[in-house]
Parts: sequence; C-alpha cells; structure tokens
Amino acid sequence: MKMRRVGSHPIQSVMEWFEDGIEAGENGILVYPNTQTFREICMQYAKDHLVAREEEQKENEDNDDDYSDNNNRRKEQLLMPRIILIATFYDTVNAVKHNLSAVGVDVQSHIDDGSLLIVDAYDGYYRNIDGIKKLVASLSERARKEGRIGVSVISNMGFFFLYDGDGDASELISYETSLPSKTDGGNVRGFSCYHTRDYENLDDSQKKELLTQGQKKSLEVTESAAYVAFDA
Amino acid sequence: MQGLPSLPVVVRLLLSGKERKDKDTHSNENKYYEGLNRNRSNEEHSNEDNKDDKPLANLLIVDDDPDIAQVLEQGFLKNSFLVSTFTNPEEALKNFQSNSEDYCLMLSDIRMPGISGIKLARKVKEINPKVKVVLMTSFEIKDNEFSKVFPSTQVDGFAQKPIRIEDLTNKILDIIGESKRRISL
Repeated sequence: MKMRRVGSHPIQSVMEWFEDGIEAGENGILVYPNTQTFREICMQYAKDHLVAREEEQKENEDNDDDYSDNNNRRKEQLLMPRIILIATFYDTVNAVKHNLSAVGVDVQSHIDDGSLLIVDAYDGYYRNIDGIKKLVASLSERARKEGRIGVSVISNMGFFFLYDGDGDASELISYETSLPSKTDGGNVRGFSCYHTRDYENLDDSQKKELLTQGQKKSLEVTESAAYVAFDA
Repeated sequence: MQGLPSLPVVVRLLLSGKERKDKDTHSNENKYYEGLNRNRSNEEHSNEDNKDDKPLANLLIVDDDPDIAQVLEQGFLKNSFLVSTFTNPEEALKNFQSNSEDYCLMLSDIRMPGISGIKLARKVKEINPKVKVVLMTSFEIKDNEFSKVFPSTQVDGFAQKPIRIEDLTNKILDIIGESKRRISL
C-alpha cells in the first residue's frame, strides 16, 4: 500500500474526502494526528452540512416565488438534511456539543429534529460490540422514511484500544472487517476514525489486514497534510 | 527554572478538561505542552507558603489534556507534593520505567490515545506493585465499566472529573495512608 498526498490543507482535504472519496454505502478509515484535529473535523463537517444548509434553506425561502416543480426535490433535500452521527470517545458528549455550538451549529434544534446524534462510543461498543451498527441501521431506515439524503457516521475507534493488551487487535479487526466496504444502494457513509497513537499500536500486518480485508479506502492526516492510501 | 503563576489553594476544575480546551493553542498538543513533561518539586515552584514543608509524596500525573495536567500539577505542588506531569502516556511510562522507586502514586486519566489509563495502570503495577494507582475520568463511571479490567488490573481508586483539588488531595492521602512517604530533601 502506497500513500499519495492530497489537497493543500488537512481539514479541507478530509472534507473533500468525506464528500468525494467515500460514496453513499461506503465505509472508510481515517487516521488523524491529534484530538484537536478530530474536533475540527467534526466541527467542520457539522458546520458544512447543518449550518450551511440552514443558510441555503433560508436563502431559498426568501426566493420562494422562484421555486418550480423541478427544484421541489432540491427544496425537500434542503428541508431534510442527512443525519449525522458522531460517536465520540476522547471528548465527552457535552464537549462535542459545546464545540459544535462554538462554530454556529444549533445543536439542540438539530438533535430535536433528528439531524444530529452525538453518542459516547463507549456506550455504543461496550455492552454490545454491534451497538453502533444497530443504531446506524435504524438511522438508515429512518433517513429513507423521512426522505433524507442519508446518514454520515463519524465514529472514534479509541474504544478498541481501551482494554486490550499489547498487540491484541483481533476484536477491532473483526469489527472493521464486518463493516462492508461498499453496500449497493446504501445510504450510509461511515468513517472509522483512529488517533494516530492508537493506530500505531497496530503492527504492519494488522494495519494491512484492517485495510485489505474489507478493501477499505483510507485517509491518513498529519498536522500539515493528508494522504490517501492506494494499491501499488 | 521560572516559577509558575500561583493559583488559589483550592483549584476548582470547573469544567472537565476535554471541555476546556482552547482550540487555537492546542492544535499541536505535543509541541504546546512538551515543556510540562518534567519533574517539579515545590522548591522550584513560586509558591513560598509551604517552603518549610517536606513533600507529602511523589506523584506521577498523566492526562492528555494539557489544561487539566497543568492545573493538577500546580494544585498538587501547592499542596506540598512532588509531581512529574505528562500529557503523553508513552513518555510517562518511559519515565516510570526508569524511576519507579521514586513514585508513591500514579494519577492518570483513563481515555488517552496510545496507552489508555487502564493499560498504563497495568504496566505500572507490573513494574512496581507498591505504587498506588488512581484513575480519573470526565466520563460517567458506570457500575460495571471496569468489570472487564478487574482482577487483571489493580486500581486503588477512581476520581470523577470535575473534582476539587482539595478533594483529590484528600483521596490521595487516604489511599497512600500507611504507605505515605515523607521524602527527605
């Protein structure tokens, strides 16, 4: 596996990868350099999808007379944004809410309207390793029923490094490989996010297994750049 | 070494550390805080109040949140402890491996990337079982959360953040109790 540098700004590169690199129905792997970068990724993504959408929606409402049947679907999409699920691990749920509010996201209203869920990844994995998967499946179903664009899942994988002894990554690899790299007709974009210090706990064969068994796309972000992995 | 700005004796961690991060200054956590990964005694501290007191104990403090680590360091220095503070658990472990006999107790955050507090506790106890371990977290401590850890990891106490420094100090003094060392300078 080789790495190719993409974009000029790490956070922007991640946003572009989230949008263009990972299609609906796909699960990708993101490695981030520090917790602050992960915070910024969550903040930027929520801002782009929730705040920008609010502004666009307001603008369209102001020009409501211009709406025609052709853009009704667009209007509906604006009214029904994708569901964003953030499974946090190194920050508390309240801290994530606080951070999102700081960039202008009306957190409570988006939680209330079902567009935003913030959960502790610990709760999503501890009692039942498939807890997050089940939650995502229900969100996916709800998104379809509500006519939403889909679901985006930003999940911090730090939980899998909380207990395990050195080198024991079997549970993690088993979990990751259980997530299909691509589901035809799927409406979920999944991003498994690893702090680089956690990721570096894996040996080369485990990293390879993580990526190749599920044929996952991956993006590795450093403090100054972002790199996508590709087959040599 | 320059003295740190003095803090009130009772330092309240008003918010959990993970909620207090300054987004701009912590974009590079390691660089920002590399200066803190060192040992300080209260002799080096600017506080003169306890200059005649001998340190109560030597503590190893590990928290990946630089703000929390600094507040703890200053609070314990003020309360007459010797402290070595680390934001990187790998570096803390390296230090402990070389100086395990110097420490009386390790106070560590639980959720840290690289080496979690639980793993760190396990390693510390392997190296020197006499050293007490207190784990702290900003997250709700659930009844069965640590059932997966015990009995493989012996932990002497837990602390839920936010916590007042004086409460944490009392907890630590209770834990080190009989084994409390007075360190001669």
